[in-house]
Amino acid sequence: MPTLSIPALDEVVYLEPGETVLSGLYKAGFSYTVGCRRGGCGICKLDVIEGSFSYERPVADTVISTDERTDGTCLSCRAIPESNITIQMREYEVRLVNPLLRQINEKARLRAEALAAAPDTPTTPDAGAGDD
Amino acid sequence: MGVMRMGYAHVKVTDMTEAKNHYNGTMGLYETHSDVTPDGAKRVFYKGWDEWDHHSVVLEEGGVGVVKYGWKVEHEADIDDIEAKARTFGLTVERMSKGDNPEIGDGIRFVTPSEHVFEVYHQATAVGTEVGTHNPEVFPRHLVGIGVPALDHSLITTGDVGTMERMLSDVFGFYATERVQTSLDDDHECVGTWMTSNNQIHQMAVIGGPQGKLHHFAFRLEDWNSVGRAADLMTMDDVPIDIGPTRHGITRGQTVYFFDPSGNRNEVFAGGYLAFPDRPTNVWTVDQLGKGIFYHDRELNERFTTVLT
Repeated sequence: MPTLSIPALDEVVYLEPGETVLSGLYKAGFSYTVGCRRGGCGICKLDVIEGSFSYERPVADTVISTDERTDGTCLSCRAIPESNITIQMREYEVRLVNPLLRQINEKARLRAEALAAAPDTPTTPDAGAGDD
Repeated sequence: MGVMRMGYAHVKVTDMTEAKNHYNGTMGLYETHSDVTPDGAKRVFYKGWDEWDHHSVVLEEGGVGVVKYGWKVEHEADIDDIEAKARTFGLTVERMSKGDNPEIGDGIRFVTPSEHVFEVYHQATAVGTEVGTHNPEVFPRHLVGIGVPALDHSLITTGDVGTMERMLSDVFGFYATERVQTSLDDDHECVGTWMTSNNQIHQMAVIGGPQGKLHHFAFRLEDWNSVGRAADLMTMDDVPIDIGPTRHGITRGQTVYFFDPSGNRNEVFAGGYLAFPDRPTNVWTVDQLGKGIFYHDRELNERFTTVLT
């Protein structure tokens, strides 16, 4: 359960595993300037100042240069966090546009944190075991 | 008559598997050929159901943006004519041979002032439309996805629209059906032009921006209903829609702008009024550009001038 911190807004957003930065932010009620959403235009670039991420699909060299592969530049529509990450926007800040989605995301994050913190929480039982 | 139409758009895609899902599965193009370039790049060739030449769209794996455009001329002699005009214009023209492009004949190639590669050819292997020519049905029964009939036009960007308009006019014999200008004064700057050689409202449009970039290439649809249905299918296939369905003030065409899986902008385009060379050119001033591009929103979205491949 990676989280995404936005220090500028004092916000922490919960991302589903395997979810892109862009998708996670939009689903949590945030918005910012994006373009093609398919890794082709580079408009949604931001900086990851802490944590790591990877691209699981091809990204054109014209969009992310060799230097940008290692300097924290994050093409947010394609980047999937590998750990908790902290982001910093470039020209345009992230805005909260849907407080309801924000609230739902906050609850999901707290629930996930509580689950992770609980000692020896029984997880999936072995095959064949009943539930409830 | 010279150039009849944009015969093919050859574009780059980052992932061929995803691109094929889009151009075949969602757009409904028919694959006619695939190969690997000497550099090892995968290519796939497509045609729409109502096109008769071998292909109209070429995808090449590795990057994004446009590789080149092919322009089909009516007569073999038109190639020489265009070559002479291109040289007069000051362009460097090279000959291309039959087979440089699969199933395309001899022709010429040059780089435009906008830094796009144009090829001009007369011969292409005839494959035939999917409904044939003998007592044809009005569309193929088993179309896939949107089922676009044909490639329609493209919009490219350049730092100098005026020079590109002059080139398309002097070399290709195109005329402008619509134009966007900074003002109506004599000393105006041309910031956009929509050009054609025949009754099609535009075959190539050019707007101000970086050199050598692709804004979009478009597929033809019949009417508003098919534009709406296309947008429905884009939602089903999770295709990111840029804008629409809406209408352009410029050309009066009905449209959806959307992105392929590599981020190249596509369009489905229907309608547009009949163009004639003696029809006075429509002129839009930049203060009304929003209405000209998106007739209902009346303002450009933030992607229109920034998202290019």
